[in-house]
Amino acid sequence: MSDLWQGFAVALEPLNLLWALAGVTLGTAVGVLPGIGPALTVALLLPVTYGLDPTAALIMFAGIYYGAMYGGSTTSILLNTPGESATIVTALDGHQMARNGRAGAALATAAVGSFVAGTLATLALSLTAPIMVRLALAFGSAEYFALMAVAFVTVTTVLGGSRLGGWVSLLLGLTLGCVGIDALSGEARLTFGIPYLLDGIDPVIVAIGLFAIGETLWVASRGPELEEILPVKGSLWMTADEWARSWRPWLRGTAIGFPLGALPAGGAELPTLLSYAVEKRLARRPEEFGHGAIEGVAGPEAANNASAAGTLVPLLTLGLPTSATAAVLLAAFQQFGLQPGPLLFDHEPRLVWGVIASLYVGNLMLLVLNLPLVGLWVKLLSIPRPWLYGGILVVASLGAYSVHRSAGDLVLLAAIGIIGFGLRVVGAPVAPVMIGLILGPAAEQHLRRALSISQDDWSVFVTRPLSATLLAVAAVMLLWGLSRREPTATIKG
Amino acid sequence: MLPSPTRTALPPTCTRVILRGVLAILLVAPIIAQASAPLMIVAPAAPGGGWDQTARVMQRVLAATEPGASVQVDNVPGAAGTIGLSRFVQSERGNPAALLVTGLVMVSGVITNGSAFSLADATPIARLTGETEVIVVPAASPYQSMPALAEAFKANPGAVAWGGGSAGGTDDLLVRLMAEQLGLPASRVNYIAFAGGGAALAAVLGGQVTAAVSGYGEFAGQIAAGQLRALAISAPARTPGIDAPTLREAGIALDLSNWRAVVAPPGLSDAERDALTARITRMAGSAAWQQALAQNGWDDLFLAGADFRRFLLAEQARVEGLLQRLAASDTTPAARATRSITPTTLPGALLILLAAVSMVFAIGSITNRPTAPMSGAGWRSAVTLGAALLVQPLLFPVAGFIVSSTLVFAAGAHALRGRGWQPARSLTDVAMGLAFAGLLYVIFSRGLGVSLP
Repeated sequence: MSDLWQGFAVALEPLNLLWALAGVTLGTAVGVLPGIGPALTVALLLPVTYGLDPTAALIMFAGIYYGAMYGGSTTSILLNTPGESATIVTALDGHQMARNGRAGAALATAAVGSFVAGTLATLALSLTAPIMVRLALAFGSAEYFALMAVAFVTVTTVLGGSRLGGWVSLLLGLTLGCVGIDALSGEARLTFGIPYLLDGIDPVIVAIGLFAIGETLWVASRGPELEEILPVKGSLWMTADEWARSWRPWLRGTAIGFPLGALPAGGAELPTLLSYAVEKRLARRPEEFGHGAIEGVAGPEAANNASAAGTLVPLLTLGLPTSATAAVLLAAFQQFGLQPGPLLFDHEPRLVWGVIASLYVGNLMLLVLNLPLVGLWVKLLSIPRPWLYGGILVVASLGAYSVHRSAGDLVLLAAIGIIGFGLRVVGAPVAPVMIGLILGPAAEQHLRRALSISQDDWSVFVTRPLSATLLAVAAVMLLWGLSRREPTATIKG
Repeated sequence: MLPSPTRTALPPTCTRVILRGVLAILLVAPIIAQASAPLMIVAPAAPGGGWDQTARVMQRVLAATEPGASVQVDNVPGAAGTIGLSRFVQSERGNPAALLVTGLVMVSGVITNGSAFSLADATPIARLTGETEVIVVPAASPYQSMPALAEAFKANPGAVAWGGGSAGGTDDLLVRLMAEQLGLPASRVNYIAFAGGGAALAAVLGGQVTAAVSGYGEFAGQIAAGQLRALAISAPARTPGIDAPTLREAGIALDLSNWRAVVAPPGLSDAERDALTARITRMAGSAAWQQALAQNGWDDLFLAGADFRRFLLAEQARVEGLLQRLAASDTTPAARATRSITPTTLPGALLILLAAVSMVFAIGSITNRPTAPMSGAGWRSAVTLGAALLVQPLLFPVAGFIVSSTLVFAAGAHALRGRGWQPARSLTDVAMGLAFAGLLYVIFSRGLGVSLP
């Protein structure tokens, strides 16, 4: 504890406060801009910060990381264009809220939820890092596969009204997930000899194509009689009811996001997706999901920020990067001659605790910075509809292009957009494509890795206690889900 | 600190905050070229990896050692660098101010990905750095030395699960070359590929795999803390600062370094090639470069000219031979480690399932239409917009970001309005699109240093 107080003394030095402010401001900006994530920003900044004090530079980098998590939800909510994989899920209900005139509330619940989750998860980071690490290391491939099974069972509730259509979408997503070089054998699969496809299909481009492009095509095809987007209906801020519906998802999102973020398999996709599914299961009005349920924004946004803090657990304690940004942060540590790992806390307590304390400070700065911006962002929606959608198309293509800077991404974007339009025409939901694309490759890799380690012995899944428990949970949830499946009539006109 | 936001106007503090953000972005921007011949270094990987870091360290050192020099780094990620390689070889032909960062991983990537271009298509300049590989086991492992692990490996190859980075990467190559040195076919290796050294580190710390292989730097922290035991390094001789024997000491006649080098485009004159080589040689001899090597834990493996060309050919032959023997053994199923799920199981099953379910669904949706039928005008709007989106990628590299974005913006606005052709309206749409695309272009290319065509 005294270490943490010492850390605050470091973080509250005026110069370090300034670096934290620069970091969170820059982070918010790159989070909002499509296709420019924190990883790219920190990588671009690395050579510039060469002569800087390591503590100051790392405080700024951590600020960028947290800031991007806040800013990333903005384009998802307003333009249906997720800038990075962590905010794909936010677009599902966040954009629907914006169309219903609740963009302000969606942005506010995202910002406050990010603050709550960021602060709680940073607290968890300061207190439980050593325990989390031991838990994370207990996760082998068998356990990961079992976890994926739980995830699959949980998220099938997101399949939506048309069950068969949901399956078509899910299978489509799973198939898209197979495209590219197989991570385990190095073989190319479903690439049809096209070099562009060797690296697989980026979920961010698929999300932008399905959500932003597909939706624009759909709106265009319905003609001008379709309902207008309402800039603001009722209060700009969250109403008492919206607060009441948000706080539990924030806490649950944190509880899901932090431990999953700390797992070495990493990534914010799984925690956000799981949080969304959990909120839908627990919601009093699950039929609102997909049409602008605030729980569907509050939970995943909290999960996203909590998992960002979780990612720092293996990074600081093991020197183990579990996301692209963490990998660049690791490079930053090494540039300053620091080796993250078990000895870092002993050798550089001032730096580590200073950075951790600056995360608390940064979170507070981000809340103060982001809430006033909500009013500004919402104004975007009062742009005339043809121009708004024209702008969405340009931002979407720019976002897709800047991920890898390849014109091939634009072809893929248009193709996925047309598929997304086709799915809407036949009444199939689009969200399951994302589920298949995110969970499919992970589940397959862990399954095959586990079997490879066990030399093709399938019993590993039940002889390892953690894996067996998780699989049992999945089985119980599956049976429970089947027994209480009532006919849902949520399809919209 | 901030006044409570109002709905009508932006608080002044807020504006200042935004201004500050914009300023910060401008500060970050790499200095745009002013010198006569800016050097472009292509890193065929995403920012953050070894190739990208090499390019960025070169950029920094060249800027420090050659006052007024302008160096740009361009990332072209994908497929073990082969996407960057083929683009470099084709579009930079004859350009004496372009370099591509490359390395061992690209040599194998070219073969496994069936790339149309190889390093033989580029002009070799110099090998710069290398990283020693290390073989580790968890502290609790029964294997105390490399010979002990090698014995167990020889006795039952499948039972030793080797963790490491991506399939076909340096770690994978090392384990398979080691197997061949021990008299085992390379295909008998039970190699578990993880996404990068980080995930492999977690697997070996958690005891999921028997041993792990990676660049020394990735495991250095754990080795120092005593959580991992370094059994051997892949360097030709003992390395100062590393307390581990070499593979050769353990009776395995093998050394391998994860080397990184730079090559120039094809079609250079000898004079141009020599000038570039001289420039890089000067850089590698500078104090700033030596300091950067020490900081990143890279070995100085500088080698230029004919020696480097010979080295490149030898590495290519070694990797090619290994991969050919692997591919040949793949045809005999008995030699392959038993797998109930092969790489082709899932895609095959999925394609069949997808076709079946889609068919059922299509029949179902013809009989009871789930959505209201579309009007003719609606279809026309959607088709126009779809066509504009498909034209965009063709236009993008030729006409540039601003023109293609304006087209998409105008097409989108036109389709959304859905009231047929109105010249005056379309003109304002084009003007709006132009303004918007121009603004984004300035922010991205000038402000962030992300070049758009």
